[in-house]
Amino acid sequence: MATWTVVRRSTSQVFSLFLFFTAVSSNENATSYNNFHTAAFGDQNVTFNDMDNDTTTQPTEFDSTTPTTLSYSTTEEPVLPTLTTEPLPVSDRLLSVVTNVGSFCPCDEHKDVCDINCCCDRECGEEVALFTGCSVVTVSGNKKLCSRDVASSSLRSTIDGYSEVQLFVHKETNYDVFCIQSQNRVDGFSHPSPAIPTGSNFDSLFKQFSSFIFGSEENSGQASSAEPLTVSGYRYGDIMMTAEDSGQRGIFWLPAPTVTADCVDTSPAAFLQDQSNRCTRDLVLEQDCSTLLALSIDTYTNIQLIAGKNTVADVVPVQVSSVILQSVDGTQTELQISDGENLNPLLLNQALCANVVLKVGYVMTYNPAGEMVNVTVSVVLGFVSEGAVPLEQEFLVTFVQEDEEEVAVHYSGNPGYVDGLPLVSGTRSADGIVQSVDPRDTLSLLHSTEDQDCLLGPHQHSPVLFGVDSVSGCTLRLEDAGNCSLVSQMLLDVLRGPNYSQYVASFGNSPLGNPLDWLPVNNFNLDEAQSCSIPLSFHLEVEWTKYGSLVNPQNQIVSIREIIQTNTTSLELLSGGSSILSVRSSVSFIPVSAPAHPGYRATPTIDAKLPFDFFFPFV
Amino acid sequence: MAFYEVYSHPALIRYKTSVCTKATLFLAIVLCLTYIPPLLVAYRSQGFWIKRSTYEEQPVVRFQYQTLLVAATSTRGDYVAWSTFPHLNNMLGNNLRIPAVSVREEDQNQDGKLDLLLFNLQLPLKPEEQVYSIQLLITFSYQLFRMSTVVMQSLAFVQHSSSVPGARLFISGDLRLQQRTPLPHRGLYNIYNVSVIDGSSPFASAYDLDSIIRSYQERNLTTVLSCPMPVWTVGRAAGSPFQLNAEIRYPMEIISYRPGFWETIKFAWIQYVSVLLIFLWVFERIQRFVFQNQVLTTVPIPVGKPHLS
Repeated sequence: MATWTVVRRSTSQVFSLFLFFTAVSSNENATSYNNFHTAAFGDQNVTFNDMDNDTTTQPTEFDSTTPTTLSYSTTEEPVLPTLTTEPLPVSDRLLSVVTNVGSFCPCDEHKDVCDINCCCDRECGEEVALFTGCSVVTVSGNKKLCSRDVASSSLRSTIDGYSEVQLFVHKETNYDVFCIQSQNRVDGFSHPSPAIPTGSNFDSLFKQFSSFIFGSEENSGQASSAEPLTVSGYRYGDIMMTAEDSGQRGIFWLPAPTVTADCVDTSPAAFLQDQSNRCTRDLVLEQDCSTLLALSIDTYTNIQLIAGKNTVADVVPVQVSSVILQSVDGTQTELQISDGENLNPLLLNQALCANVVLKVGYVMTYNPAGEMVNVTVSVVLGFVSEGAVPLEQEFLVTFVQEDEEEVAVHYSGNPGYVDGLPLVSGTRSADGIVQSVDPRDTLSLLHSTEDQDCLLGPHQHSPVLFGVDSVSGCTLRLEDAGNCSLVSQMLLDVLRGPNYSQYVASFGNSPLGNPLDWLPVNNFNLDEAQSCSIPLSFHLEVEWTKYGSLVNPQNQIVSIREIIQTNTTSLELLSGGSSILSVRSSVSFIPVSAPAHPGYRATPTIDAKLPFDFFFPFV
Repeated sequence: MAFYEVYSHPALIRYKTSVCTKATLFLAIVLCLTYIPPLLVAYRSQGFWIKRSTYEEQPVVRFQYQTLLVAATSTRGDYVAWSTFPHLNNMLGNNLRIPAVSVREEDQNQDGKLDLLLFNLQLPLKPEEQVYSIQLLITFSYQLFRMSTVVMQSLAFVQHSSSVPGARLFISGDLRLQQRTPLPHRGLYNIYNVSVIDGSSPFASAYDLDSIIRSYQERNLTTVLSCPMPVWTVGRAAGSPFQLNAEIRYPMEIISYRPGFWETIKFAWIQYVSVLLIFLWVFERIQRFVFQNQVLTTVPIPVGKPHLS
């Protein structure tokens, strides 16, 4: 293929060679003219007798593997390879080329058997009577030549009704002005004979013609164990090793989803890459409850990590920091870990399996040398019923630097908010603003659940992310709304979320000690008229602006308010007789940045200027 | 006796004036009005500088022999998968199902560029399994040479699902190039000559189809398999494999590029001069009127007699 590319590119450069090479490629086109399938005789050519004496008698002398010896060079002599290289045993001769159009029969596919409808098949005798036509009508030579041989075959009926094959070879004349009268190039109209693979050039030939093949993957299966051991510790992205009971080294696996959401157990965790994987497992409870290792707490806790990459590194055992038991209805209690307790999965009855691992969180402490110092794991165990299959498991790994005083506070931008990160919020106390260390304890929005009911728990809340407008809601059944003041307060609590903060930081990294950086959430209550009213929508409106330079603008929140819309008419009227009201909670971010405008030191006198692309190619 | 014109020749009359006169001012204004307005006219009538142009080329495409196949074998989410990436195959465990794959690339018009990929995959299935959906990802090496040399690795993604289990899926489509911004007119453009799937990665996240497609679609140049009519054949005999036959053509593409300096100038020059000719003619008439009739005072010098005798 490489050869051909070179030919095409060079034809466009050297016009005098254009005809010559076009003739080469159109030689093959002559076959499609005859309605053959090209694959039927891939490597055979219709060429002329007088042009291939050299190639048929002495094929080994002609080495033309490299594109350059395809000879646009003026020297007529082909490059002769040195005869010291021995040809490979089987390939010392190439097939001779069929050249005479009369003797060429592409449809003759069966040896010593007459091919039906193949008029040029020599074996056909009486069978001709069965023929209905000729599958190959003409075989012609090169159409670029002024005079070419054409072998035609036709079927005709004799007087007594039998079919009769007529074969004849005749000359056809091409009246094109640019036809080729005679040609003296030996290799002009045929493919160059391929290089004979020998022991010495096999590798280069292989490299030249096999660019993509199956099984060409450079790294076959095994983890890259042949890395230089100059660094004792792990580096970012390295696979972490474990010490197996057998004394061998294993790999620290963290189950993860791949091409589907199913858990893949043999995916390694990478050093210093925090991961949070959620994946599903399909279970047959009766069989898998006690046998499947992925459900058992031991699989995740009974691990000995190797602190560093080199062989003498210490072994760091995984310590269990907490085991939380989640009941069937979702409430969580911490288990006091005692030694003898068996926490392995247990089949309680046919449809309930207890002590199944639902969530595993590793916290790995590392030192600046890239060595693991301490690894703790916290596990959530729970029950799996027949209805909760496929089971979703969550696997987390976080890396914490050694000597870190306290848990790192996550900024939502430095300094301006970054799109997609949660708002920083806090509550006011006597000595300033108090912010929770848990990044999930922030301003949140009700997340819709499957039962859709506003008053029935448990409710899910999703944090309000900067720049992300969102809407969700729940439904309120009218029969629940009897006690107006109670329902109103409950609904408001549900909509605002459990940790409703009154203050929001104007920047992503606003310090707690600076109360001026914190904006109060303004309460903007529509329709205060009625004494008691049910909130029908809860809307947070955040106004933000771009602050600072034009090149690196920082997002700043300038005001935030909550808009609670309550009912003004009776609930029955609003619901339209369906006895269900929808309650909406939403958040919107409104950019209030003033458009940037250029500032002048002195007022320019003339503002006549050409369009920006007036001198487009010059600038 | 009638007279007839036996010969004629134009007579050159020179009008002379000094520098600080109205005629000089007039001349300067005329020159400005002759040469600058055509530029404005040509620019304001749009298309003065061409910024995008197109050319046609058949790309050099090679199948890279990298494949990723995911097939859902039940309605409740069981699947089998296979890839040419050993790390992924190791991870798949029991879900690994090795199919029989045969591939052929064909150069139909013998021009040295491949035109067609014939991809045949037979997925053996257990008695209880049926195929409900197929996801197939194959990668290509894609090269363009005519203007800028583009070398990139691209992919084709086939996804088909049906509520009825199938026996065969037949796909015949074109591998089309999609570009967001025009290519440069020269030079080497190989920023996308990176693996679409990092086959050397042992991590499961490297084979996540979401992230593969996401990072692929962020590119300026992508290829997409345009197959409007996939054929899903139902009715698989027990014990026979699921068959996936794909014919992917590598057609001629129309590629847009940003013309170079001289091409831009060439087309702008044509437009400018064609408008300029009109202005030259008009102001030539105006000048002739003004000077011939001595609207502005100048000293006309009639053509001198060439020979003194």
